Amino acid sequence: MNSNKYKVLIIEDEGNIRHFVKTILATNGYQVVEAKTAAEGKMAFMSHSPDAVILDLGLPDGDGMDFLRLIRLDFSTPIIVLSARTDEKDKVAALDAGANDYITKPFGTAELQARVRAALRIHQQNMNRSLGGNKNFQVGDLIIDYDTRHVLIKGEDIKLTQTEYNIVALLAAHAGKVMTYSEIIKEIWKWSDAGSVKKLQVNMANIRKKMGIRPGDNQYIINELGVGYRMNVDME
Amino acid sequence: MKKRTILKDTVFTMLILCIAFVVSLVIMQTFDLYTTIPAIFTLAVFLISRYTESYVYGVIGSLVGMFAVNFAFTFPYFKFNFIIVENLVSAIVMLIISIMTSVLTTELKRQERIRVETEKEKMRANLLRAISHDLRTPLTTIYGSSSAMVENAKDLSKEQMVELAAGISQDSQWLIGMVENLLSVTKIDSGDMKLIKTPVVLEELIDSVLVRFKKRYPKQEVQIEIPDEFINIPMDAVLMTQVIVNMLENAVQHAVGMETLILRVSTEGENAIFEIIDDGCGIPKEKMDRIFTGYFETGNLPADNQKRNMGIGLSVCASIIKAHEGDIIVENLKEGGCCFRFTLKMEEMLDEQ
Repeated sequence: MNSNKYKVLIIEDEGNIRHFVKTILATNGYQVVEAKTAAEGKMAFMSHSPDAVILDLGLPDGDGMDFLRLIRLDFSTPIIVLSARTDEKDKVAALDAGANDYITKPFGTAELQARVRAALRIHQQNMNRSLGGNKNFQVGDLIIDYDTRHVLIKGEDIKLTQTEYNIVALLAAHAGKVMTYSEIIKEIWKWSDAGSVKKLQVNMANIRKKMGIRPGDNQYIINELGVGYRMNVDME
Repeated sequence: MKKRTILKDTVFTMLILCIAFVVSLVIMQTFDLYTTIPAIFTLAVFLISRYTESYVYGVIGSLVGMFAVNFAFTFPYFKFNFIIVENLVSAIVMLIISIMTSVLTTELKRQERIRVETEKEKMRANLLRAISHDLRTPLTTIYGSSSAMVENAKDLSKEQMVELAAGISQDSQWLIGMVENLLSVTKIDSGDMKLIKTPVVLEELIDSVLVRFKKRYPKQEVQIEIPDEFINIPMDAVLMTQVIVNMLENAVQHAVGMETLILRVSTEGENAIFEIIDDGCGIPKEKMDRIFTGYFETGNLPADNQKRNMGIGLSVCASIIKAHEGDIIVENLKEGGCCFRFTLKMEEMLDEQ
């Protein structure tokens, strides 16, 4: 059993789910704090100041969304939302309210671990960056050189337009987090209209083409259908 | 919606009454035949009752008709007169006949609706029975294996533990697939068929399909043939991903001897045509007819057979595609294997490029 010193708070009312999530994380060296209700969750958050939170949206004493908004007022701690498969609408709402990621129930060990790792890594990177290091972004064979605004794959320069570069750089800046269509549009074009999503989709299609990404073999930018895009950080 | 039918029915009622009135006038003027006129109004009321939603229109129609006949077509003409016994009696008789016709036709329509509803209910019950039956097998594994692990933890070797747990994991995955399908069915079946369609990029759809498919069948190659241009199709992305994954899965499980599996998309006019082609054993003739509706049949098969998933998966595909106003067919190929084909409407290419 290795220890990695990260502390994760689980807020979930369903005992069995909480238990297996705890087991998985604990055996991978995380310290785990549990809470059954939103109220307990708030207390645990304040007293333990965890490095990441796993939050179920349907809690007995209130909506998980309220908890999410409350925490986001003061903290940037990564929050991963657990959602039962319903509509994309719920996912988009949670992401737009500040969740870093969501996992759809039912989920397996591998998926849970990958998401937690990704959330922690992004958080760490952002902290480093804000401390002054404006380093290049790198994942797998993909390198983004922020200074010269160049994107390289396997050392080869990918010729992107301004807009395309901005989109890739934005996804990289939030790597691991799902960026919803509306978040990206707001950042890139500042305003949105009926054709904005399509404009974004066309740009993404061009980016994929230039990067030589084939369907099913999509290593760098992951499609979240009907929700948005995510830069992968967890290359196997 | 409701308001619209009320407006439509009101207009229809007025129109029919006007026609009846004009026809009666013409008959009276040209042929001098008064006795046929109540019959014409009765016919009008019948038509109104038959083609409107509520019996109210029929009753209003018959009242209006009675007054119209009394006013215009019985002596004294163009004057109300209920004092002459003959007029009074014929007015009352006409009113009774019209109201009864109206009530009868409405009742008939109600019965028809009940019949359709019962039919649907029966199908739902059949589906439910088939599924509960299918759920038992994986649940048996999960319950059995897990209780063995809990109760005999001390006596089991590590290998045995892992083996039991692997069985649990495998059968739960099957259950997850089944529950996804059920959720989709209820989403579509819940009455108004209100699918929320968003424009989805074909390439992204195919990508998501493959990511999901590869997770379950990492060794199965899928040959992809899609057009180069940017194609946007309005759809419920979650449901459509499931349709294609179901079909690929179906090929892996049932196309015995399959070597290549092709997922091809082409365009024709405003339609995108999806084809899932395998070179396996094809589909036996007797199964062909009911392949998209055959989930009732699974109840008779032994539950532990590998093919349990087939009927439900494909019938779910068919209903999802129907809800998208698309068509789905399947055919055996001359060179062996079979091809599932369905069409979806693409988004019109409006502006920009």
